[in-house]
Amino acid sequence: MSDVKNPMRGTDGREKESRKTTGGHRIEGGIDAVVIGAGADGLAAAAYLGKAGLRTVLVGAGAEIGGRIATREIAPGVEGIDGEHLVTLLDPEVIAELELYRHGLEFAARRLDTTYFFESGNVLRFDGDLAQAALLSLDNDDDREALERFMGEVLEMAAFLRPAFRPLAFPGGDASPKRALEKALSGAAPDMAERLRRYLLSSADDILRARFGDGPLRTLLSAETAFRSATPPHEPFSFLTLLRRFAGEAAGLQGAAAYPKGGAVSVIAALRRAAQSAKVDVRAATPVESILIEGDRVGGVTLLDGGQLRAPLVIAAIDADQAFLTMIGAELIDIGLQRALTARRPEIASARMQIVLKGVAQDDATRRNMMRRLVYAPSPEALAKAFNEARSGRVPEHVMVEAIFPTALDDGAGLDKRQVVSVMAHPLPFDVAPDAQRREEIRTAILDSIEMFAAGFSGRIEADDLRLVADEAAMARASPGAYAAKPDILRQWALSSAVTGSGGITGFYFCGPEAQIGTGLSCASGRAAAKAALSAFKRGAA
Amino acid sequence: MIFPAEDFFADAPRPTPLFSAVASVSEANLWTSVNGWTVARVYSSVTGEYENAKAAAALADLGALARYAVRGLEAAAFLGRLTTAPAVSLHVGESARGLMLDDEGYVIDLAEVSRLSEDLFVLTLPTPHARHIALGARGLDAAVEDISGQIAALGVFGPQMAAVLAAAGLKSASETLASSGVLRGVETAARPIQFGAMPGIELIFPKEEALTIWERIVRRGAGAPIGLDALEILRLEAGAPRPGLDFIPAGRAGADPRTPEELGLAHLAPLDRGWFNGRRALRNLAGRPRRRLISLSVDAEAAAPGAAVFCDGKPAGRLTTCAWSPARKRVIAFADIDAATRGNVYEISASGPAEGRVPAKRFETAESGLARVFAGVQGAATDFRR
Repeated sequence: MSDVKNPMRGTDGREKESRKTTGGHRIEGGIDAVVIGAGADGLAAAAYLGKAGLRTVLVGAGAEIGGRIATREIAPGVEGIDGEHLVTLLDPEVIAELELYRHGLEFAARRLDTTYFFESGNVLRFDGDLAQAALLSLDNDDDREALERFMGEVLEMAAFLRPAFRPLAFPGGDASPKRALEKALSGAAPDMAERLRRYLLSSADDILRARFGDGPLRTLLSAETAFRSATPPHEPFSFLTLLRRFAGEAAGLQGAAAYPKGGAVSVIAALRRAAQSAKVDVRAATPVESILIEGDRVGGVTLLDGGQLRAPLVIAAIDADQAFLTMIGAELIDIGLQRALTARRPEIASARMQIVLKGVAQDDATRRNMMRRLVYAPSPEALAKAFNEARSGRVPEHVMVEAIFPTALDDGAGLDKRQVVSVMAHPLPFDVAPDAQRREEIRTAILDSIEMFAAGFSGRIEADDLRLVADEAAMARASPGAYAAKPDILRQWALSSAVTGSGGITGFYFCGPEAQIGTGLSCASGRAAAKAALSAFKRGAA
Repeated sequence: MIFPAEDFFADAPRPTPLFSAVASVSEANLWTSVNGWTVARVYSSVTGEYENAKAAAALADLGALARYAVRGLEAAAFLGRLTTAPAVSLHVGESARGLMLDDEGYVIDLAEVSRLSEDLFVLTLPTPHARHIALGARGLDAAVEDISGQIAALGVFGPQMAAVLAAAGLKSASETLASSGVLRGVETAARPIQFGAMPGIELIFPKEEALTIWERIVRRGAGAPIGLDALEILRLEAGAPRPGLDFIPAGRAGADPRTPEELGLAHLAPLDRGWFNGRRALRNLAGRPRRRLISLSVDAEAAAPGAAVFCDGKPAGRLTTCAWSPARKRVIAFADIDAATRGNVYEISASGPAEGRVPAKRFETAESGLARVFAGVQGAATDFRR
């Protein structure tokens, strides 16, 4: 990712012809669409527009393409990948339509099995294919039956709700998903409708306790619900978070977690190749100062260097605060939209930590676990306590941890090599500007939590690299709030419809992180924004 | 200025700053609550107060309306965003009417904006909207202060308005320009208002001085107070819809929201003016009204709100408010009708002794005249719905 800063510049004859200079500033015309933000959604949106034949310019503020997902040296001679480490929500339609496999996307693991470690020292393995969950070796037959029934219902409901987890409110776009959803919901089978009605408002903890008592399955599924969410499992609507998680489709398998070969950057690389083959002019290090609004329509963007890109379509794939409050300006957006944006007060965040190990334990169990997703699942009570601590701004003693071994997944679990563990920890307090002491507290909490299931782990650490949302935001030049943990799905829906409505500005579309329902690398909102923009462009509305 | 619907269920409305003054001249002692403030419905007699306003000068306690002082470098931009009034293009002293719209382009409330100095405005609204205003001011250099309970507001209108102003010591108060200054040691602001079609002046002064100013006026025998019921007749004659009765403002429980066009107030929210909240949504709604609010004069001694309105024998809508107009010698009313209904002749279902249907005719009011001229200009000059 670090090679070429601006690979498309100069390769496209059009841009040279259409650039003209006025008063030292360049005004570029002849562009159909400008996409702001070189993250996954921006790349996907630009690729769709380019593919449809629109002259598209993608501008990113950072020196690299990819937004928060980027390769970085985490220790001398060791490269790590910032941002996501697994793929759980990647839109299968984006993979198919942009031919990401042809553009180099490859999965090292399509469905990672998960090993859950509990406070009690118990261990449970979950098949990567959730439909096979009942094959799990549980001591108790009742538990096994309950789990089988539960997973069947949950996967069915999650699949049913999948259309509702797409961003819906795009103006002028194809409104049929919304209608389709309404139709589907009104046509749901009575037992499904009844279950949805009961489950949608419930807390995950209530449902899990009723289903599994106080057993390990409750702990396990509570942890899955809470992971990367700002809503703990005992709060209302939290069950929807679990449904959202299981509605994802990473590499063709519902609810699975997949590991792309080379890490999440390879998804970005594939998207970038898709964009480039669609003749998108990709420009890194081109920060946008403002979005031009002329009357009620978008006119293009003004760059920080004073230049202008004139275009009838602008897609913002950056965080909403920047797009609406900074680049458009509070005085030009509706009060309700501004309220939706400013009402958020992030409290919870996740943290990434990449750890270089001197060596790993020389046994088969470890070797197998290195090819899995490892999850430390604190008890629901401990989890609730951790959420309370994090909400009040303190670092919890123990947090939930998701760990994978990227090097092992890429190159095999060779025990002779230096291994890297990639860890995602949750819940932690959200800090706009964490100081060194806070970083050390978080680091300790994460390492202590890992020690809970891998005793002696700390002794094997050669180097570690902690990455908080503030760091990711600084690198992607975004507001840290955009990367904080998301609230419950109902609030995500509300915010998503507010931002994807784009303030009613003709020709302007938004597909930043706030448009997405659920956490993870998805590209669904980039696709939806591009589709809406294209249909408006074809109608001549833009 | 238009009073919103009364809140009938208010237990103990607060006294307005002018309450003790106006209470001392109330013969009828008939009060109601508006926005939680005490407002007189009648002082002596409805007809008497109405005639006095037409022939002499009327004094109205406007303390129940919501008022905000807006200061700051971006005060004009803020008001231009919050309301459809052209705050940015107002010169010092000028006032403008407008509407407050929600994000969907539906009417939340009516609004009046007066510019008292470069960076000081007074915003008057029929009902308080503190939260919406506070949200609208975010991100802008504009400080909004709710001055509703802090100041006394006295509306003066009628042909002998000048005498009242002279009595108050405000000879210089202009009917066209707002001003602020110190009047015999009392800080005041005077701004032109329209009550219905009648031009008037609103005096705003600190509540501590409420009685002083009132005494100055009343001792000279200039002007007589006017209550809500007489004001209602003037309002209907002028064709100004009353929030909460003729339409339920957007955002309220049970609201069936209305666009400016549907209320006959399209001229207050022109789409070619600078951006205001809800304009983009309004652009999509423009030209497609579902309902219309029209003024009818009914050939009957009485009519009641809620009475059915028929056009060509078919049901078209309902009366929303009505009153006996001494000037027209008819009952005049607002009717909320289906937008598809055309024509000027209607029938109203009447109950009581004259059961059956009575004829009603549309009539032009000051407000509908403005709307008609605006529609003509808009249609001829520009297509704003590009």
